[in-house]
Amino acid sequence: MRLDPKRLDTYAENTWCPGCGNFGILTAVKRAITELVEEGYDIKNFVTVTGIGCHAKIYDYLNLNGFYSIHGRVLPTAIGIKMANPELKVIGFAGDGDTYAEGISHFVHTCRYNPDITFLVHNNQVFALTTGQATPTSEKGYKGKSTPDGKWEEPLNPLVLALEAGATFVARGYAYDVPHLTYLIKEGIKHRGFAFIDIIQPCVTFHNITPYVKDRLYKLEEIGHDSTNFYEALRRAREWRYDLDPSAKIPIGIFYRTERKTFEEGYERDIPYYKVVRQIDWRKVLEEKLT
Amino acid sequence: MRSILIGGKAGQGIAKTAELLGKALVKLGYHVFNYRDYPSLIRGGHNFNVVVFDKKPVYSHVERNYDILAALDDRTLDVHSHEISSTTLRITLKGHGGDIEIDPLLLRKHNIPFLSLNIIFLGAIACHLGIPFEVMKSVVSSLGEKNIQALKLGYNLTKEENRLKKSNKKLLFLTGNEAIGLGAIASGIDIYIAYPMTPATPVLHFLAARKNKYNYTVLQLENEIAVVNAALGASYAGANVMVGTSGGGFALMTEAISLQGMSEVPLVVYLAQRTGPSTGVPTYTAQSDLLFAIHAGHGEFPRVVLAPGDPAEAFRMTMTAFYLSNKFRVLSIILGDKHLGESHYTHTLDEFSPLVKPEKFITLETEDYKSYKITENGISPRSVPGAIPFAVRATSYEHDEEGITTEDPHMIEKMVEKRLRKWESLSVAVKNLEPVSVYGEGDKAIVSWGSTKGVIFDTLKRLEGWKFVKINILAPFPSEEVLKELDDAKRVVVIENSATGQLSKLLAMKTGLITDDKILRYDARPFTVDYIFRRLRG
Repeated sequence: MRLDPKRLDTYAENTWCPGCGNFGILTAVKRAITELVEEGYDIKNFVTVTGIGCHAKIYDYLNLNGFYSIHGRVLPTAIGIKMANPELKVIGFAGDGDTYAEGISHFVHTCRYNPDITFLVHNNQVFALTTGQATPTSEKGYKGKSTPDGKWEEPLNPLVLALEAGATFVARGYAYDVPHLTYLIKEGIKHRGFAFIDIIQPCVTFHNITPYVKDRLYKLEEIGHDSTNFYEALRRAREWRYDLDPSAKIPIGIFYRTERKTFEEGYERDIPYYKVVRQIDWRKVLEEKLT
Repeated sequence: MRSILIGGKAGQGIAKTAELLGKALVKLGYHVFNYRDYPSLIRGGHNFNVVVFDKKPVYSHVERNYDILAALDDRTLDVHSHEISSTTLRITLKGHGGDIEIDPLLLRKHNIPFLSLNIIFLGAIACHLGIPFEVMKSVVSSLGEKNIQALKLGYNLTKEENRLKKSNKKLLFLTGNEAIGLGAIASGIDIYIAYPMTPATPVLHFLAARKNKYNYTVLQLENEIAVVNAALGASYAGANVMVGTSGGGFALMTEAISLQGMSEVPLVVYLAQRTGPSTGVPTYTAQSDLLFAIHAGHGEFPRVVLAPGDPAEAFRMTMTAFYLSNKFRVLSIILGDKHLGESHYTHTLDEFSPLVKPEKFITLETEDYKSYKITENGISPRSVPGAIPFAVRATSYEHDEEGITTEDPHMIEKMVEKRLRKWESLSVAVKNLEPVSVYGEGDKAIVSWGSTKGVIFDTLKRLEGWKFVKINILAPFPSEEVLKELDDAKRVVVIENSATGQLSKLLAMKTGLITDDKILRYDARPFTVDYIFRRLRG
């Protein structure tokens, strides 16, 4: 399909459940890209990478370059794309099962590597496409088909993990607050380095905690949070532990933002490899082994 | 033919000594084969190399009756005492009963670091063999002045018997791993990605050392899963990519191997076999991953499996692997092993002459690009994201021509058939890429693949009425070519470094030919001429 910022949809039938938070994420992504193109970004250079799960259907719904990868492997795939062509704006989409279960090692190392890519986790705290099993971010007590007596372990706090592992942009969005999420995605894409956005996306079918979440949300931008302060970011990230604590408040917004050398810069890559012309004489290559 | 065993502890520079000796001999125009044997440890233990040389080509080592046994420690004398003959010259440390004895105190006396002990041994070996000092010195010179002094001390301990004459032959001396690295460079590699694993690690080191000279990237990522997925990402974005690993790492990669099949993103894998199953005997050799390489990955999709038998073939087949991967958007596996990867071989330059010209087959001018266009030969033109005004897609899901997910039975069938047609065109293409080589003549045939080539060559010199049918491309399997050679043979013997004879199984599956006559070795060591000769007659 011809790339066209005015036509970001495809002919694919949308199969998300009615009311799914993924619609909000899709809308926010399209708005962010439309606005970035207006600001001068080239539509040709956007590449989406997805894992496997409900989130990943976004690959079919966006008329952009895309790599529909496999469960848990979004980040290495995205890193490979960026290493081959640093001009590309790579946006990774993954689920919470994808990122925090199957792909957790890639997540920790990618925070550390700091490639210049944007990473959106559609965190519905459940394996939805496989019809409702607990993930590492499901709350303690969650009753799914594989945990009929309730999950007994504590959930993982991915924001704290990302901060400790060295992510240079750490944010949280809410799937049903499209304008705010659009702002986060744009900031994430503009950030030079690994931009991680965990998006609370309550699953309408298997994990509908919308009533719990929406009453407790507040925006970091509205309370004067200093996103350059690492310890302040950590303190805010610990305010909600991905549980259903009635006294908890849930901050959304940019927790932390800093700059350091990116992964590609570390390897001194700046030219797309597809443009590199190599004229190599095989005889010359072998010369070093002539005695 | 003459042979030298050099042994000692890991850390004493045993492999280096053998390599330097080999280089000097090759410089003189001799053909050298250098076998390396080492356990999985960093310091101590018992390492040894066997250097074999001759005026005529030689491709394998021996396990007894060495001309020289150079023992840098007592354990070498113990382990190899039953392998020497009355004519073996023993070079040992002082007071250990050698024909030539080396006093380590010489080093202190001349203020040379103790690490140069091996170079004194090298001097004594080289002098005894008749390698002119100037030739040996030129090989050692890059190691600095102290080592040249140590070399001289070694030369002073003995007298040349017969000076070796220099011929005008121009020869190359290299390992299979080095040849694969050079083949990747000659193919125009953009990115090499790996996680360390013996015996593929030397390729990682070799390519890392040359990345600035040839302007490519070398990445070491967190595990083999990241390695192969990053490789697919980079290849999708237009880079020429190769990954390298051994059996265990390849097992981790298989999920993405299947992703290659569906996404049709070009990928080259160097799979260096070692003794399995599991951790097995990690620094030793085997040919027991043939069926794994051929079948790895769920679902049905085409692939190429190439099995080089020596460094010249490793170089050429690496180039073929890149070429076929890019042209057919398929997986190419270069199936090597520890024996090929870490032994030194001698070649002439023309033996490396490639069968293909490097090309990425990327389309940038297009009217209406479809990532999975249905074509007659099954090959959908390859483009890259960012280069054209169309969406370029890669996907793990079954898809339509645009790369949009489908569950429609009609479309699924069409896409499956498109990939099957690619399999067919690939099978035709490999017919021109030497899928089978036949050496010698006779009504009896040895059939084998990969690193057994050298030792079978050397065995053939002692046999009459035998030919050697070497299968170079194991997928797509060249059934027609193989059958033509084996159909009327009086006896067919399969030789393989495995316990079950996987080539026999493959032959039966692909040609219907039953080959029960097998010579197998599965003690983690490569074959020798004696070993095959005994089994062939017995």
